[in-house]
Amino acid sequence: MKKHKIEDIFSSMEDFSSVPPPELWSQIEEKLDKPKKKKRVILWWSAAACLLLGLMLPSVLHFSSSDKQTNPIQNNTLENNSIVLDQKENNTEKTNKNTERSIENDINNQSKNNNQISSSEETINQSENQLNKTQQTETVGSDSQNKLNNNSFAPKSNGTKNSLNNNTTVAEKSLTPVKENKFNPDSKNQFSGSKNGQSNQTVAEKTYVPAKENVFNAASKNQFSGNKIGKTNQAVAEKTYAPAKENAFNPASKNQFSGNKTGKTNQAVAEKTFSPNQADRLNSASKSQLSDIEKRNADKVLAEKTFNAGKQNKFNAGQKNQISNSIFENIPNSKNNNTIAFTGSNSGLNGNQNAVNSNKEKQNIQKTSTDKSIASVQKDNSKGNTAFTNVNVLTKKDSAQLAELQNLEKGIVTPEEEKKKKEDKLLSKADKWALQVFAGVANSENYSKNKTLGNVNDSKQSNSYGVKTQYKINKKWAVASGFKINELGQSVANVSYYNAKNSALFTPVDYFAQSAGPTQFTSDANYVLVSNNAKEAINSSNIQTGNLDQNLRYLEMPLEVSYSIFNRKKTSINLNTGAFVGKLISNNVALDGTSIGENINANDYVYGSTLSSTIQYRVYKKTNVFVEPAVNYYANPLNSQSFNQFQWGLNFGLNVNF
Amino acid sequence: MKNDREGQLKIYQLFSPVLYGICLKYMKNEDDAKDVFQEAFVIVFQKISQYKFEGSFEGWLKRIFINKLIETLNKKKKESFFLDVFDPDTDFVEEEELEVLPIEQEKLLEYIRDLPDQYRTVFNLYVFEKMKHKEIADLLKISEGTSKSNLNRAKHILQKKILSIKNFKTA
Repeated sequence: MKKHKIEDIFSSMEDFSSVPPPELWSQIEEKLDKPKKKKRVILWWSAAACLLLGLMLPSVLHFSSSDKQTNPIQNNTLENNSIVLDQKENNTEKTNKNTERSIENDINNQSKNNNQISSSEETINQSENQLNKTQQTETVGSDSQNKLNNNSFAPKSNGTKNSLNNNTTVAEKSLTPVKENKFNPDSKNQFSGSKNGQSNQTVAEKTYVPAKENVFNAASKNQFSGNKIGKTNQAVAEKTYAPAKENAFNPASKNQFSGNKTGKTNQAVAEKTFSPNQADRLNSASKSQLSDIEKRNADKVLAEKTFNAGKQNKFNAGQKNQISNSIFENIPNSKNNNTIAFTGSNSGLNGNQNAVNSNKEKQNIQKTSTDKSIASVQKDNSKGNTAFTNVNVLTKKDSAQLAELQNLEKGIVTPEEEKKKKEDKLLSKADKWALQVFAGVANSENYSKNKTLGNVNDSKQSNSYGVKTQYKINKKWAVASGFKINELGQSVANVSYYNAKNSALFTPVDYFAQSAGPTQFTSDANYVLVSNNAKEAINSSNIQTGNLDQNLRYLEMPLEVSYSIFNRKKTSINLNTGAFVGKLISNNVALDGTSIGENINANDYVYGSTLSSTIQYRVYKKTNVFVEPAVNYYANPLNSQSFNQFQWGLNFGLNVNF
Repeated sequence: MKNDREGQLKIYQLFSPVLYGICLKYMKNEDDAKDVFQEAFVIVFQKISQYKFEGSFEGWLKRIFINKLIETLNKKKKESFFLDVFDPDTDFVEEEELEVLPIEQEKLLEYIRDLPDQYRTVFNLYVFEKMKHKEIADLLKISEGTSKSNLNRAKHILQKKILSIKNFKTA
């Protein structure tokens, strides 16, 4: 006996091989098909994003238009006793009237506040104020109408009309996991178009019937009676998967193709039917009647690659493929090619009664004999030669046919392939969630050259911070939501104002009688901000100038969709877009650094859209740092007053996957 | 090629016995081996377009499988995988030579699979994949010493197993 080292003893294990259980392939195939479902998710999300944008657009339009039309009177309530400031140019007669009234009205309020105006004046003004009130309700009414219009607009845009011209996917990927399913037991899909261009490409593709006692297409009649079917009916019941017991697949189906000139039709009927369990009856009494007159390449693959992994399969037990063609070029050669039967006792396999021309019969016999000689892998086929195990070594003829089949299949699969290329790989279950903490600076921008008090609104820097959770749908797409505290600000330089605290002889009436009109309010009554137009008209000795800073702080909740455009090694770049709603939590107006109260025109709730790009770098295992330049758009920061609506931001943050 | 099920099936039929054998050698139980086998094959078909025709296709397939196997083992067992530190006293014992009758593959597979995960991985990589300790260390993110130690301990366990059966004679 020889001496051996451990390595030598185990050297025989180097090329150790073991045939995997047959069901593994079906599981792999299933997994390979899975990403399609993911694709649906992406489609839904993109549809949702489009919907969101669609809904936002009219509302943004609404708000931008209402900015121009807004009547300043709306804010003219007695309780506020506010101070006046600015005017808005209104072109219509009606609004001009309103402006005049509001001036007087404001004077009235002013006078109430300061108790400097006589009682007679007050009554007059009050009566006018009532007039204004009615005006106000009118405007409110019209406003609400606008809103109604907006609402009704939305569903219109959603209305889709499904045109049934092409019938490209009928019952694709149906999933019926319950017991005793009857799938389309009496369905009659009748396609009777006279000229169907490329229609009916996948009828009942990838139907998945995992439960017991399924009756699939029990009595379905797929009748295709088109006269000139260009490339139709390419895959009828392709890749049907019925893994449970006692499936009767197409037990009485009648696929009747009675086209006169079928160009390349019916290429794969019941292709790749998969029924790995027991007692399957496949096409037990199917009658595929193909009564075409001219058939060149048609009907090449009937029940190709049928996969019967279980016991007692009756495959095509009573199948009658009646092919009554006179012109017969390539026809039944590839019938039941590569049929794989993994178990023994396949009793009636390939007991086809093919009524074929006698010439062809000869050829078939020859072919069968070659196949028999090749097929030797099967261990215990009781009837030995009838079951063809998969043929690895192919005769020339077979390989030529196989190549042709592959081409055909490719033709069928091409659209799927293109989609799949875009498709992402499956994500591992881990790391689907991410938590982001971030803080950054933001700078508001005035792109529409809005003016306040006759001066251009300047940008103002502010800061923001928040948390976000992100859920990865797949490798490319993710959704995120969270909370963020953000500040939108603007500053206006050289604002003229009059400080009531410094002057005992303050009579605003004098000013406003001459000035053009007010619109803007702060809650502090001691400061009167004056527009440039008004300043000229007013005695300038009491007028001072200063910088007006306004800050609106919001608690925002964004909803974002992000798409990964680059992801390699430790670095990734995502594009994010979404919308947010914000609740006003702080509102501050400062004049030269001194707070003069709140801007009473600020909306309590704002919304807007956001667009950002995240550049992320992994620093440790699941921890990433990121920089995120972003642009936010606020649809409605203020009512009836211009404010910076765009905001640039740069966030820095930490992202932890879990 | 990517979506050509026909081609995929051919590849599967051609290579699955060897690859399944590898999975069995690396994973302790058969269910895990099946899982990895499936997942790795899915990866193969997804990445098949990335095959550059450099080196043998089988080698490429094996690399994917081994990477997947190691990834799975790392996920499964984080404990003690990195804990084995090279100990010159116990790990540099001269290897005994055994006189044995040929042992059937099933038995050998059983012995391999009985090894602790980390020993088995190193043993497999060293003995069957002919990798050097440096390469194993890089792949498993362990030190070279740990790799050597794991290999020696694996051999030691296997030796004991073989000695425990009847058909041997010690040298």
